[in-house]
Amino acid sequence: MPEQRTVTLNMGPQHPSTHGVLRVVVELDGERVVKATPVIGYLHTGIEKTMESKLYYQALVCTDRMDYLAPMSNNLGYCLAVEKLMDIEVPEKVQWARVCLAELTRIKSHLVWLGTHSIDLGAMSMLLYTFRDRESIIDVYEACGGQRMMTSYIRIGGLAHELPVDFDKKVRRAVKQVNEGLADYENLLTNNEIFINRTRNVAVISAEDAIAWSLSGPMLRGSGVKHDLRKANPYSGYENFDFEIAYGEKGDAYDRYLLRLKEIRQSLRIINQALDGMPEGPYRARVPGVVLPPKEDVLYKMESMIFHFKIITEGFKAPVGSVYQAIESPKGEFGFLITGDGSNRPRRVRVRPPSFINLASLPRLVEGGMFSDVVCAIGSIDIVLGEVDR
Amino acid sequence: MTRDELKEHILKKYDGLLTPLETGVFDLMCEVKPANLTKVARMLYDDEQLKFDFLNNIAGVDTGEQFEVVYSLSSISNNLRLDFKLVLSYDQAVIDSVKDIWTAADWHEREIWELYGIDINNHDNLKRFLLPDDWDQGYPMRKDWDAPDFVRMPEL
Repeated sequence: MPEQRTVTLNMGPQHPSTHGVLRVVVELDGERVVKATPVIGYLHTGIEKTMESKLYYQALVCTDRMDYLAPMSNNLGYCLAVEKLMDIEVPEKVQWARVCLAELTRIKSHLVWLGTHSIDLGAMSMLLYTFRDRESIIDVYEACGGQRMMTSYIRIGGLAHELPVDFDKKVRRAVKQVNEGLADYENLLTNNEIFINRTRNVAVISAEDAIAWSLSGPMLRGSGVKHDLRKANPYSGYENFDFEIAYGEKGDAYDRYLLRLKEIRQSLRIINQALDGMPEGPYRARVPGVVLPPKEDVLYKMESMIFHFKIITEGFKAPVGSVYQAIESPKGEFGFLITGDGSNRPRRVRVRPPSFINLASLPRLVEGGMFSDVVCAIGSIDIVLGEVDR
Repeated sequence: MTRDELKEHILKKYDGLLTPLETGVFDLMCEVKPANLTKVARMLYDDEQLKFDFLNNIAGVDTGEQFEVVYSLSSISNNLRLDFKLVLSYDQAVIDSVKDIWTAADWHEREIWELYGIDINNHDNLKRFLLPDDWDQGYPMRKDWDAPDFVRMPEL
């Protein structure tokens, strides 16, 4: 019998550091990882198939449930894709409000990442601080959409309803809270020797490899590639805002940590600009038969009521053709390929889930490294299994 | 490079390989014959003026009459976007893998193989990952597949 040198170890699917139900089969030679195979699919619910049998409006609620830590970004991506397909132009105020909400979502998602990633590495108190600050952002969600997580607030052609009266006040409070919190995080982690030892030169990926693996978001920029869809291919009026792309140099887990903190700062900058310059105007585009008319009109005007009824019961018919629209979500490039077939339901909705593509590079990140770094690598990718499996 | 310049470039350099389709206001969409896939992919990757080095997405589509596989590409250095598609008949649903050119194609192609039953040539990692290992109920993303307990809403 040949001598067996390696040990195969199963990690997950129920493992606290895998951020959901991810399973990794690791082959070990001593403490070194020889081979790592991510096993996914435990949360596969066929969301793409479900969306094919829904009206365009109904399919929106499926998007919240993919990356449940960044619902507004998902809504935004889907709505932009459908708006591109239907050639709808939204009012300026909607664009600004969407940018504001999408950036709040980015902060919220990064805060959860920061808390859980630090817990993985043994910094137990971080989660309490980040969840404290995340609460103020969830307050904004609750005021807008009535829900704390699955908001579905950004709708095709605009928003679900008018921004709440105290929107400005609530967002400014959240900005202040996060701004103060950032000082705490940096004090606790940035110069923390244990944290640096656990993350420096761990899960390194070069810029060429990052592009070959189609990594996006912080995973790509952490390796020094200056590619951000908000600048490269602006959507929803991002060209009106003054901000910088954060990027790293070495492409290790510590760079990605610094980068996400920088992104939070840039997001705060964008939110402040959006609040200061928020234009007046309607909260929904006026496209009869496609975009729901404002609720006030539905109650008093005959035509609006008829359109409302028709859109709710039979939806609208989209043209034949396919569009690909991607946005820069907190995790990376979140894209939708929507194919219309002339009926009121999409022929195909393909999601380009950033976590899914980023997770594919996990073997590349951990093979050859120490076993204890697998946890750090998984954490630094920032995956949400709801989106990976769909 | 604008959309029209890109179209011009493709017509000039990729004559017969990439055929731009009439898509109205939508993004530029081209068609590629399945036999030419790897050749076109390699050319698009190597082309100095385009340099499509980033594979955004590969999507399978079942139109009810045939399969389509839509590739979305980007160029990070030149900031360009291009979509092209392959049309496959149901009885000849085979494509070549582009994993050698864009490593990221690995999982995309696996997903298409698993959910649509489109076979992938030269792919060394075709294993189930989204569906259960013992799945034997066909290819769920095909249009003729309905879940056993699925009730379609009546047309209005």
